[in-house]
Amino acid sequence: MKIVVTMKLVPDPNAEKKIDPQTKRLVRTGVETVLNPYDEYALEAGLQLKERVGGDTRVTIFSMAPDALKETLRRALAMGADDAAVLSDPALEGSDVWATAYAMAHALRRLEFDLLIVGGLTDDSSTGAVPGALAEHLGLPCITNARKIELADRTLTIERETDVGYQTVRAPLPALLTTALTFGEPRYASLKGIMGAKKKAIASIGLAELSLDSAVGSDGSKTEIESFAPPAARGQGKTVEAPDAAAGASAIFDFLRERKFV
Amino acid sequence: MKNVLVYAEHRQGATRKVTFELATQARTLADSLGGKACAVVVGSGAGAIAQQLAPYPLDAIYCNEDSQVDAFLLDPVVDYLEAAASLVGASLILIPNTLSGRDIAGRLMVKLRAGIVADVVDFEIAGESVVCVSPKLGGAITTRCALRPGEFGIATVRPNAFQAAASGGTAKIEQLPTARRSYAAAIDNDVEEGTGELALEEAPVVVAGGRGLGGPEPFETLLKPLARALGGAVGASRAAADAGWVPYSLQIGQTGKTVTPNLYIAVGISGAIQHKVGMRSSGAIVAINKDGAAPIGEFSDLLVVGDAFRIVPELTNLIEKAKGNAT
Ligand SMILES: Cc1cc2nc3c(=O)[nH]c(=O)nc-3n(C[C@H](O)[C@H](O)[C@H](O)COP(=O)(O)OP(=O)(O)OC[C@H]3O[C@@H](n4cnc5c(N)ncnc54)[C@H](O)[C@@H]3O)c2cc1C
Ligand SMILES: Nc1ncnc2c1ncn2[C@@H]1O[C@H](COP(=O)(O)O)[C@@H](O)[C@H]1O
Repeated sequence: MKIVVTMKLVPDPNAEKKIDPQTKRLVRTGVETVLNPYDEYALEAGLQLKERVGGDTRVTIFSMAPDALKETLRRALAMGADDAAVLSDPALEGSDVWATAYAMAHALRRLEFDLLIVGGLTDDSSTGAVPGALAEHLGLPCITNARKIELADRTLTIERETDVGYQTVRAPLPALLTTALTFGEPRYASLKGIMGAKKKAIASIGLAELSLDSAVGSDGSKTEIESFAPPAARGQGKTVEAPDAAAGASAIFDFLRERKFV
Repeated sequence: MKNVLVYAEHRQGATRKVTFELATQARTLADSLGGKACAVVVGSGAGAIAQQLAPYPLDAIYCNEDSQVDAFLLDPVVDYLEAAASLVGASLILIPNTLSGRDIAGRLMVKLRAGIVADVVDFEIAGESVVCVSPKLGGAITTRCALRPGEFGIATVRPNAFQAAASGGTAKIEQLPTARRSYAAAIDNDVEEGTGELALEEAPVVVAGGRGLGGPEPFETLLKPLARALGGAVGASRAAADAGWVPYSLQIGQTGKTVTPNLYIAVGISGAIQHKVGMRSSGAIVAINKDGAAPIGEFSDLLVVGDAFRIVPELTNLIEKAKGNAT
């Protein structure tokens, strides 16, 4: 069985984010690039499935990212993925969700897989629209937010989280899944894993190999960022020391009154 | 893009507040664009939802009670939305930025070859051009992003971003033709685990607890009564969810939910960046923390330095007293 896990490379969520006023894009220099946290859960799901199914099951990482960042994927290989493929091309720069999903779908089609596991959300853009878009492009059943995955006779039985509880959903392979965070903590890379990852392959795919029939990058995008600004500033906050609980409670109560919450 | 189409999300006839917010906002947008405001509601209970939408200022409500919508995972919803969109023509489609809303939006984007802007909190309209305002990078910046005129555009809209107002409803309720019968992803079982309380993302007030609460009981005995007094919902930091004190569905932050209530009260939460990105766009932020140097103080309107175990019950009591329900 072949499992592909998509992973986006994102600026360290803990770092201060800046936008270049000229290009209107995120300044990535000086900020460490890491695996999108949600995608580590997707990888964990892929690795657990590989362990359960066994045989010649392979887990391949797919990322669309600048070539210069691809070594970041070494961590995913150290966690246990077998190999990686990166779609890189200068023409992809400035792609919006539409163009990203379009290019990714074409590259993924070439990888051939039984199961595609996608993260639920990216830390930098947070659209959450890519999984559904990929499923639609690739004609796959789309089961999001999985917390439990069973596979028998090429049929998936998924327990997926909803706003109010869970659903059990059944679908045949090939299919697309996204994972919920309740799926389980992503594993750490072992020392052996880290050593082994050095020899694993990270293949590069260029746009020329994909024969796309429409543009990608800024030209192929359907949205355009006109401007950006820091969020509206919050006034200077107030601090009240309240060794006495009654004083603390009435400070909050007065605030709620003033703002008309009570 | 002239017309506006709203996806009326519901759960087997149970409404979501955001649906009415979108129905109201759709009118304002359609008036600026010089077009119609319509809504789509499908699945079991759709008829009842259509009736509830009728007082809102819409031109048409497209409805189908098709029970197959509840038998398959979102595929029928996407097909119905596509059908309604082709009926209405190039339009701005408003979808709630919820768990299912995001899935639907991504798929509809491909079907309609539409542009998409996620997590929209405001719109600016000039002629046929629609500019969507949305916070990005966990609220570190706010972008203004334009959809292409003349095509379909999709905006997933944040709950609580707009006011709902039921007035001026004259909408015709129209039957949508029944869609395909069968799809690959079948729902075998649909279970409610929650207690039927207010959805976290839509709550006007969120009272969230963290590691400082020390265990599961204070969520029940301290936070719930305070949330109830304020008409809000209980949330949590990841530390509290990881400890198993509350379900992960209550987690707020980078790897949890993003909430923008009018009022956020953080109790025993330090305010780590991963928590901050999920709540910093809230209207007013109040923190109770025994550490005056906790980072949460840097982005709160009011930080009360003291013991939550003693302050919260007093506060709840003050609020109940003001409401005339003193104990
Ligand atoms: C990839 C990644 C993703 C993450 N995603 C999230 C996320 O989505 N959401 C999230 O919340 N975190 C997330 N985290 C974790 C985050 O970094 C913090 O560890 C977490 O938010 C801390 O939770 P806390 O504030 O409850 O606990 P702590 O940081 O331990 O803070 C507890 C606070 O309670 C105060 N306190 C203690 N006793 C009392 C008392 N009696 N009265 C009043 N105050 C008291 C303390 O002074 C302290 O400030 C993530 C981390 C990583 C690495
Ligand atoms: N450039 C990319 N490369 C690889 N995976 C991606 C990329 N963009 C999005 N994804 C995947 O799609 C998921 C949702 O992304 P988004 O819709 O942008 O929030 C992520 O968690 C990733 O798994």
